[in-house]
This record gives sequence, C-alpha cells and structure tokens, in this order.
Amino acid sequence: MISNQAKKQIDVWVAKYPIGRQSSAVMEALKIVQAENENRLSADIIQAVADYLDMPSIAAQEVATFYENYNHKSVGKHTIRICHNISCMLNGADDLVKYLEKKLGVKTGKVTKNGLVNVKKVECLGACVGAPMFQIGEQYYENLTKQKIDEIVDNLK
Amino acid sequence: MADIEIEIDGNLVSAKAGEMLIAVTDREGISVPRFCYHKKLSVAANCRMCLVDVEGAPKPQPACSTPINEGMKVHTNNEKVKASQKAVMEFLLINHPLDCPICDQGGECELQDVAMDYGSDVSRFSEGKRVVVDGDIGPLIQTDMTRCIHCTRCVRFGAEIGGIMEMGGTGRGEDLKIEPFLAEGIQSELSGNMIDVCPVGALTSKPFRYELRTWQMNSVSNIARHDLTGSNIVTQTYKGRVKRIVAKDNDSVNETWISDRDRFSYEGLAHENRLLSPQIKVKGEWREVSWDEALEFAMRGLTDKVLNTGEANKLGALASNTATLEEFHLLQKLLREVGSENIDYRLNIKDLENTVTLESNIKLAGLEGVDHVLIIGSNPRLEQPMINHRLRKASLSGASIDVINVMAFDFNYQLNSENIVTPNQIAFMLAEVLKLILQASNAEIPEALSKIEASDTAKQLADRLLDADNSVIILGEHMVNNPQASSIAQLINEIAQQTNSTTLNISATANSMAGDLTEFVPGKKGLDANAMLATGLKAYILLDVYPHFDFHHPAQAIKALSKKDAFVISMNSFKDEAVAQYSDVMLPIASFYETSGSHINIEGKVQSFCASVSAPSDVKPAWKVLKVLADLLQLPGFHFANSMQVTSEISNQGHKQNVSNKKLDIKVKRSVNVIWQKSPYAVDALSRHASALQATKIGQMHSASMNKATAKKLEVAENDNYLGVPVSIRESVANNCVFVNTNKPIRGEL
Ligand code: SF4
Ligand code: FES
Ligand code: FES
Repeated sequence: MISNQAKKQIDVWVAKYPIGRQSSAVMEALKIVQAENENRLSADIIQAVADYLDMPSIAAQEVATFYENYNHKSVGKHTIRICHNISCMLNGADDLVKYLEKKLGVKTGKVTKNGLVNVKKVECLGACVGAPMFQIGEQYYENLTKQKIDEIVDNLK
Repeated sequence: MADIEIEIDGNLVSAKAGEMLIAVTDREGISVPRFCYHKKLSVAANCRMCLVDVEGAPKPQPACSTPINEGMKVHTNNEKVKASQKAVMEFLLINHPLDCPICDQGGECELQDVAMDYGSDVSRFSEGKRVVVDGDIGPLIQTDMTRCIHCTRCVRFGAEIGGIMEMGGTGRGEDLKIEPFLAEGIQSELSGNMIDVCPVGALTSKPFRYELRTWQMNSVSNIARHDLTGSNIVTQTYKGRVKRIVAKDNDSVNETWISDRDRFSYEGLAHENRLLSPQIKVKGEWREVSWDEALEFAMRGLTDKVLNTGEANKLGALASNTATLEEFHLLQKLLREVGSENIDYRLNIKDLENTVTLESNIKLAGLEGVDHVLIIGSNPRLEQPMINHRLRKASLSGASIDVINVMAFDFNYQLNSENIVTPNQIAFMLAEVLKLILQASNAEIPEALSKIEASDTAKQLADRLLDADNSVIILGEHMVNNPQASSIAQLINEIAQQTNSTTLNISATANSMAGDLTEFVPGKKGLDANAMLATGLKAYILLDVYPHFDFHHPAQAIKALSKKDAFVISMNSFKDEAVAQYSDVMLPIASFYETSGSHINIEGKVQSFCASVSAPSDVKPAWKVLKVLADLLQLPGFHFANSMQVTSEISNQGHKQNVSNKKLDIKVKRSVNVIWQKSPYAVDALSRHASALQATKIGQMHSASMNKATAKKLEVAENDNYLGVPVSIRESVANNCVFVNTNKPIRGEL
C-alpha cells in the first residue's frame, strides 16, 4: 500500500522525533502517501499509514480529517485552494469563487470533466496582505482579479 | 505534597498543593457543573462548563484544569460565574437536539440536569442544527451521535483505560464527529464503560434500549461473580427483572469500571432456556412436580441408594466454580454430615494429583504499584479484565512486563518480552530461571537443577526479577492442565521466594476461592472429581454443573453419570440436554443476582450480596434447597433462616494454598499439548445465555489455533475440524501446542 520510496521519505520524518514518538510524523506521512495515490486518501491508505507508524487507525483518521490539505474524494490534477476568510472575503473572495465556478463549469468540490482542475474553499492562508488570494500547488497567487484568474487558470495544463 | 489553604465561597478549605480546583470542590461537596471532567480520566478542559471565578484572574477559570495555590479565593456561585455558566450552556445546546422525551438517557442525563439548573428557558438559536448519521458500532453500545457534546470522555476512556483508542474525533469545527475508525465497531472487553462515562444520550446500552426510565427501576448493589475481581455493581431492576447493570465505585476492587461480561451477562437471566420447575424422572420420563415431591424424591433416592445401605462413601458432590460461598459450604457440610468426603469443584482438571497450587499474596490495588511483572500462561485481558487493568496501570507507570505464554495474545500494554514457549518446556524454562537466581545469591543448587544450561532468554528473565524491587509473578489458567502443572507452581513459588516477589494465582476463576475456603475438595478418605467418575458412585449431587462446558472430558463424565445404578440430583439454573440425560431429579436454582450469598475475590476479600430480584417462577436459591434437603435427611446443624447465618458459620481464616512438595519434573517432552480455554463469554451458564455478549467478536471466539508444523503433525488444515473446533493456523502459537478457545459445548476429550 505504501511504496518503498514513500517509506523512505516517511522514515526521514520519523527520525526527526524522539524514539517512540514516531506517530508525530503522521501529517507528513499522510502527505507523502497522498501524493503517490492520485492526491487522495482512502480508508485503507490511512490504515496503512497508521500501521506503519504503529498508532491507532482512528488517530490517523482524526488528523486526516482535521486538516483540509488531505483529500478524501477524487481531485483534479490541480487544486485551486481559494481563501474565503475575513480579509479575502472583504476583498471580494465570494465573487471570485462564483467567477471560478462559472468559468470552469463546475461547483466547488467537483472536478472539471477533463480531470484537470477543482476548486476548494480554504481558511486563511496567512497572506492577508495580498487578499484576495488562492494557492495552486505550492504557489500563492495574490491580489487576484478576474483578469488575473483568467491568465493563471488558462495556463494550467 | 503540603497542605495549603484556599477560600471557596468565603469558607476556608485545606487541600494539597497542585490539586485541581474541581477535585477540591468535589471533596467539599460544592457543586460545580461539568461535562468533560472525569476523575479517572485525563483533563481535557474542552466543555468550559466548570467555569468559576478566581479572584485576581481577569476571566472565569475552568475548575477542572486550574491548579490551586495558597491563598486562592474562589467563587463558584456569584453573578459572574452564573453568567458564564449560562452562556456556556447556551452554546452547548445550540446543536444538541431537544429530544429528551425519546432519549434513553432522559432522567439520568448530566446535560439535562445541568440545563435545568443553568440553562435558559428560551433558545435564541434559529439556525439549522447539526445532524449526525449513526453507524452500527456493535451489539453492546447504541449511538445517537447527534446528541454528542464532544466532551471526549469516551475517546479518553479508550486511549487511557481501555488501552485501545477506539473512538476518535474526526472532522473539525461544526463537522466534528465522534466515531470509531470507519464504523469498524468497538471491540474492547471494557467497552461498556463508555456508556457510563458519556454524560449525554449519545452512547447508551443497546440491550437496554427503549426499555425503561431510570426512575422506574430499583437500584440494588450486587457483586459480579464471573471472575476473580468480584466487581461491585448496581443492578437496576423492574418488576422482578434485572434490566441493566452499571458499575459501582469501589477503589480497592474495580475502581469505577466493570468488564462487559459483568455488565451485559444479566441478559441470560431472562433466557427461555431457564430451568423453571422441579422435575423427577419416572420410568425414563420427565415429570414436573412440586418442590415437596421433588425433594422427597431426592431424599428417598439418597437414603435408598447410599444412606440406608451404609454406603455413604458412594455419594459424591460436584459443583461449578460459580457457586456462592454459602452454597459451597452447605453442600460440603451435607456430604460430610452423612459421612462422605467425595467433594470437588475442580472439574476441568485432568490430573488432580498434579495441580497448580500457589498463594496469592498481593492486593488488587497493590498490583498497580509493582515495578516488574512476569505473567505465565494467561491472557489476562480477556480472562481477568480488571486485574489486567491494574497491570496496565503498572505498565503505564513504568513497570516492565515479561510474558511466558503458549501463544501470542493481544496485550494492551507494552511488553518487555513475550516468550512463546511450548507447554512441555515451560517447567524447564522456569527451572533455568530458578537456577540462575540461586547462582546469583550463591545458594546451593538442588540436584534436579544441576545439569541445566541456562539460555539467554532465561538469563534476561532472571535478571529482571533480580533487579526489581517489587515484582509479582502471575500464574494463569493455561497452566492448569500442563503435564508439569505442579512443578511449574513449585518453581514459581521458589523463584518468588528467592527474589522477594509476590505471587498471584489466577489459574482458577469465578468463585473458586470460596470453593477452597469452604474445603469443597475431597477430604482424606474422599475421592476427587476424576476418581468419583472413574470409580462410578451410586449417588451424586451436582450443583450447577454443565458437563459439556465444565468437565475436562465431557463424554467420559456424562457416561459415568449416566450409569444405570447412579442416582443423580442436579441443581441447575439452565436446562441442559446432558443433564436431563443423566439426572433423576432436576431442581431449578436461582442464578446470579437472584440469590443472596458471598463471593471471595483474589485478595481473599469476602463480598456478600443480597438478591436483587427474586428468582422467576418456581425457582429457589440453592442454599435454601440444600438446607431443606439436609432437614429432610434429618441432619443436625442446618437451622438457617437466611444465608447470612450460613456465612457467619464459615470460619474465614483464609485458605492456604500449600505448594506441593513432589519431586520436580522438568523434563521436556515431545507430545502435542492441547489447552482448552472457554472463550471469555462462555465461562459460565449465565454469560453463555446473554445474547448481546454472544454476538460480540469476543463472544464468537471459536477456534483451535496451532502453527503449521503442529497442524502437519495432526494432519489438519485451516478450517478443518479439530475436536469439533475449526482450525486456525497461526505462527504465533508455540510448537506442539493447540490452543482452543471455544464458546461451544465440547464433545470428546481435550
Ligand atoms: S459520545 Fe458521549 S462521551 Fe463521547 S464525546 Fe460524545 S458526549 Fe462525550
Ligand atoms: S483571510 Fe485570506 S489569506 Fe488571510
Ligand atoms: S469540566 Fe472543566 S472544561 Fe469541561
């Protein structure tokens, strides 16, 4: 269930914590394993991670469902994580969400037909100075306008 | 810690520094509302219901997580506190359904009570409420998670007490849900305690669902007799029926917890299989008769068969280990009075010349203070759940735990070493350990041990015993039929003496301690259980014996009891085909909670109980039946008006388990050893008839485990039948060993 390569990556994280506290690496482990499973987690995968880190499966499940960077349903190749918290909201995030939905032809949470993109509303990403903003992959895009969104989204491959 | 003084509501109170405020107010009887705090669980401080006003602090403080300080001034009841409590209550009720009229917790709900005291009459919340869809988490616990207030008591119970985190909080914020991993269900042997700790109606008893309101029932204290703890319980009854069982606090026995077996076995009481009326066999036909007639028939049978013919020594008494202290006493007294010493309750032991005899000399509460444990031949978690709970506590506070077992079990604490040893080699291994220990103190090495070479494992086991200041050696049930049983006990005793360890003998369960105390064992001229059946007696009195579960060789026992000229009086709570086959009289007797009596637990504590309900229909308590039978036989000394008078006649000088002084047998043999262990919920007739317990995973345990090599030797494969039990091949079983865990009647020898 977990590839050897992923295990190696997890071990790096495990080594950062005191012996016997391997379960502290659960967040990274879930992230690593998610990356090699089409960006989503299933019950079996969570169970496998829990077993690998010798922790109760429900404890891994708690983490996997608490943070929104873990996906439990299929996602597109790119996830647009758009902030809708206070600063972004005051700067028109809600409109931008609607705009994105219309442009892509799918509601938030759904994946475009070609499997390329999905939109996810997230909480404050700590970039309030540049509100409204979203994140794709590791990249932040700030001070968004409809025009800017067109440019960014049209270039997604 | 030093005593300090603080002021609560204007009164000076002394307390220990560092204590949490709520512990002090609880002790002083000052009421502070709470949901998440539980005295036996860690502090979570997530519900905020316990807010109090501490002078000098800008905001109200949670009493459950505020440690006290010298000179602290606390108000639990001023306007500021009342306002915060009201506000917290309002938040808690935002998502809580107002379904008290259809909620099983109604009337005993902490939320309902606190809402009555602190809540507002009108809700200002007009938004939609959260709804949670429930999954099925097993036959014992009913969930209604929409009612959950996320106090996490159940989560902490699993992680801290149960030893397996089964419940958890998934999602977050508005979507937080308390649930087990993917509704795979709850499997802990202590799971029912989650019902007790849940302050609301989110977790309730499934078998009790929609039965009754708490105020409709009578609560009667009682003692659970399934194991060696004698957990204190409260039986809740309605119209003469036990409807539910909850734990009763007793810190020196079961603390606040009870096992699922103690909590749910009561269901068996109402099983249709109860024996309800006295019956006699006339010309091979069973006939229901009055008690007078039945007892007359029994008395006549005994007089004709053995008493009038001067053959009292041809009468035998056998009892199961669940009998009460008083029942054991009366039955042995009756036998000894008529002149027979053929008395025994040890029905499951193959060789009664070769038994494990070992003292228990440590208290239950003492167990959690040891720094080292050596367990031999036991799966304490399922066999003695509350003893295991103490061991877990010891382990959590740093005790090292070594195990010598015939197969790997699922322990809920860290083991230092788990040694899986072929039954035939356990005595040898202990001999190695003893030799090393003797060598360490330069003591003389007895002849029997002189030739032994100690292995590394033995060395490690010995070292840890020598290093420990306060260790205990535990001898479990799996050793009772070991070919070297008595040597194993001797060796343990010797090792314990040499290392100043205490010992705990949990090899005979339920009320066996009472069997020993009342000398329910053969006297000098008497025959033991096996000898009685092998010689074939002319008359027997059997007390709640179910041959297919209780005898080590059911078929042989049934054959012996069925002999034409044997007159058999059976006293049973439940019907049983085999009993009907060999008996001449069947007398229906009261089961658990229907009779008064006493249980003796592992530390020798005698706990007496009254009947919570009267027995159904024509069923009578066994002590009364025995008394009347003795009267009919005109025996002196049976003028008892109640069971307490019987209790006071029994001299409780404690029972000494004299360790055998036979020659040590430590030879390793090659034969295959079968260990027969009734599955945890099949230990007695009552549990076997409790349907919800039987439906659990533990209740369904039914397999003969062995490794590949042994399977090959016995020419069986996975799922084949071995002695009527499906084979399960696991490499975690020692070589040359079959470990049978079964909930079904055993046919054939084991
Ligand atoms: S189910 Fe009960 S005990 Fe568990 S968190 Fe919810 S309210 Fe608390
Ligand atoms: S509110 Fe959007 S980044 Fe902070
Ligand atoms: S009892 Fe103190 S916060 Fe819950």
